Amino acid sequence: MSEYKTLTCAEVSVGDKLPPQDIDITTGLVVCGALATRDFEPVHHNKAAAVATGLPDVFMNILTSQGLMTRFATDWSGPEAVVKSLDLRLGAPNVPGMVMTMTGEVTAVDTENGIVDISVLGENNIWGMHMQGSVQLALPQEA
Amino acid sequence: MTAEDQKAFEDEIYAFVGREVCPPTPAKDDVNSTMIRHWAEILGDSNPAYTDEAWAKNSARGKTIAPPAMLYVWNQEGFAATTGRAPDAQTALVDLFNQHGYTGVLGTNVKQEYFREVSPGDTVVMAMTIDNISERKTTVRGPGYFFETLATFTNQHGETIGTQRFKVLKFIPQEQPAAAASEDTLKVPTRIASPRGHDNKWWWDACDEGKILIQRCKNCQTLRHPPRPMCGECQSMEWDSIESTLDGEVLSHTQLHHPKIPGYQYPLICAVIKLAEGTNIVSNIVGCEPSEVHIGMAVKGVVEQVDEKTMLPQFYPA
Amino acid sequence: MVANVKDKAVIVGIGNTTFSKDSGVSELSLAVQAVKAALDDAGLKPSDIDGMATFTMDTNDEIEVARALGAGELTFYGRSHYGGGAATSCLHQATMAVATGMAETVVVYRALNGRSGHRFSGGVSGEITTADAIHWGWYMPYGLLTPASWVAMFTQRWMHNTGVTKDALFEVAHSTRTYGANNPAAFFYGREFDRAEYDAARMIADPLQLFDCCQESDGGSAVIVTTPERARDLRHPGVSVRGVAQCAAENQEQMTSFYREEFAGIPEMETAAKNVYAMSGLSADDIDAAVIYDAFSPIVLWQLEAWGFCGYGESGDFVKDGALRTNGRLPTNTHGGQLSEAYIHGVNGIVEATRLVRGTSVNQPAKTVNHALVTSGVGIPTGGAILGRMD
Repeated sequence: MSEYKTLTCAEVSVGDKLPPQDIDITTGLVVCGALATRDFEPVHHNKAAAVATGLPDVFMNILTSQGLMTRFATDWSGPEAVVKSLDLRLGAPNVPGMVMTMTGEVTAVDTENGIVDISVLGENNIWGMHMQGSVQLALPQEA
Repeated sequence: MTAEDQKAFEDEIYAFVGREVCPPTPAKDDVNSTMIRHWAEILGDSNPAYTDEAWAKNSARGKTIAPPAMLYVWNQEGFAATTGRAPDAQTALVDLFNQHGYTGVLGTNVKQEYFREVSPGDTVVMAMTIDNISERKTTVRGPGYFFETLATFTNQHGETIGTQRFKVLKFIPQEQPAAAASEDTLKVPTRIASPRGHDNKWWWDACDEGKILIQRCKNCQTLRHPPRPMCGECQSMEWDSIESTLDGEVLSHTQLHHPKIPGYQYPLICAVIKLAEGTNIVSNIVGCEPSEVHIGMAVKGVVEQVDEKTMLPQFYPA
Repeated sequence: MVANVKDKAVIVGIGNTTFSKDSGVSELSLAVQAVKAALDDAGLKPSDIDGMATFTMDTNDEIEVARALGAGELTFYGRSHYGGGAATSCLHQATMAVATGMAETVVVYRALNGRSGHRFSGGVSGEITTADAIHWGWYMPYGLLTPASWVAMFTQRWMHNTGVTKDALFEVAHSTRTYGANNPAAFFYGREFDRAEYDAARMIADPLQLFDCCQESDGGSAVIVTTPERARDLRHPGVSVRGVAQCAAENQEQMTSFYREEFAGIPEMETAAKNVYAMSGLSADDIDAAVIYDAFSPIVLWQLEAWGFCGYGESGDFVKDGALRTNGRLPTNTHGGQLSEAYIHGVNGIVEATRLVRGTSVNQPAKTVNHALVTSGVGIPTGGAILGRMD
């Protein structure tokens, strides 16, 4: 147990910044992420199909983006946190060769109910905002 | 399209609101550790709640769980979808949009709520309806409609485990995509550079060399910035320059929130800075929290490479 | 000393197109629709026009507008530079042309697809190749490249100098939108708006938030200016140009005059005001209502100070007492302003100021409006005019 720590509400304040993450967008992540989420749309694994839509290469599917968003939140909170909701707006595609930087901060803490809201922004270094939204976590009341 | 045609089309699409896309349908496979492990490895998610059974056994949950973001994964149709999706209300709606020129498609929003975690062995049952369709909107992509599906997920005990709202824009594409974009479009953008002409090239060239110069009238010694060809005090066109120490004071500042311009790093703060030499310069404030920047703040500038192509003075708290 | 053209030119027709976010037509189409509407309002024919005045940034060539309308010979055409600073400068041009006899009937127009076409909020870019590019080059590399960001820089310092707070910016934003909500032609028609929504809106460039900024629009506006003699025979009572002036002050840049000894002010508007008052023989006390250029909420406050309705730094208190409201000292931007009617670079403001004097604003104040002020955009070379009833 001790190698993983989970934050409690008492340890969290509005305005706390989450440690930023840089995600290398590789063909492997895009294609394998699509397959791991059972999304077999050709634009996520077949470059020719993606190019036909006007993009330079395969691009990340939404379920992978969702996964990266929850991972960003729980990497910070620790594994006993329970994800309650995820709300995201999509922007520019993530295409191999890009780096997506994820940043976030705590926007609300409901100590009574152990609920924490986090705003999350994922921006890639080429086209800017890839996704923006919020994750709500339930944190343990005491360590 | 005439107003009547438009009305008829809208009557037809709005009739889809509330229609069932699929009745409650169990996923073909139960939640299982194999798919969870694939997902966790690929997304680089080392959360032990997903994959470390020993850890999970001793955790508050007592067992591993599926990543919540996999909620929709279990019921995905799979590879079969690529060879033609079985017709349902959603495909019919999409066909209708396509027939009327709204061929563009863009997922714009996803909202998932999770009421119960699921673990290997659980069955995820999904039902989906078309929840709402917007009025016709003008978007940057072109005119279109947003439609939102609502999926409700239950487990084998009939307990609701979560919901998903997924919003899609169907639009009339405004332009054909330019001849297939090449990898060139993936160059990392840099800041917008100043054009260089007779009156300013020397200044930017010096900046590239790490020096910030201030133009000085050779006749009356008056300093001026930005550079211009004639001294406003004595009308002399003879000039030289001095190098600034970049000691300065903030006269005003603003944090740029919107729009975010590709090539710039945010948070981004611009300021008007009074240099010790007496002229003002616009630059960025870096090296502190945006909330710490204030009028009257003492700053010290350093000429830095801010991206692959750009050298600029950047000012730090002194 | 400014030459006196008091009451030598008269606004006899006004016209707006529908304002929208996507006109679906060309800018030329909007221009001719606006001009035709203004001609119809005046009871004039296209062939009555012999002069034209518009903005340098307008894409509609005078001769194209003339040809599309079916106008005849033009003996005067003049353009004014500096974005929204050109609004009353076009009126200034038209007035000079009419007063000197260079033309008899001049149309001022501005038409743009400002939302569906080129959007000014996108900012300047390195792609522009005009002489302005060198100037913008001192700001672009740092990311200071949108109108909101330039205005924010002035606002921050002005608030610091004067102690004026966001309460005053909100009062401008709210009073204007209250008018807009009652104007069927306005974007904001029928909309509710309160402090909570204002405070919750996204930050654009601090201290400016979303509702401190105007929206971009598609549309066109036009006014017809002619001689007092001609005006007497036309459909509406003439609205006379009592005074009009333009000014670029010392050490002026476009939106970035950061190199003055104190840059939290608009000396160019102070001079324009002084000259308009001198020409008209009027003072701030004589102004009953106003259309004050409002691309952003704080710039209304600075102009109230520049035109002498209150002293420097006092505009916050001035507006908080309800001065801009319909029963206040100076009902202002009664069409909803550019903040909530449409952003037609101030020409829709000349239309509204004319209506105020005619007594036909959708939010016409109860009192008699003998004189209405109308101004151009600030931060740039600017100007203003006082309109009054033709004797």
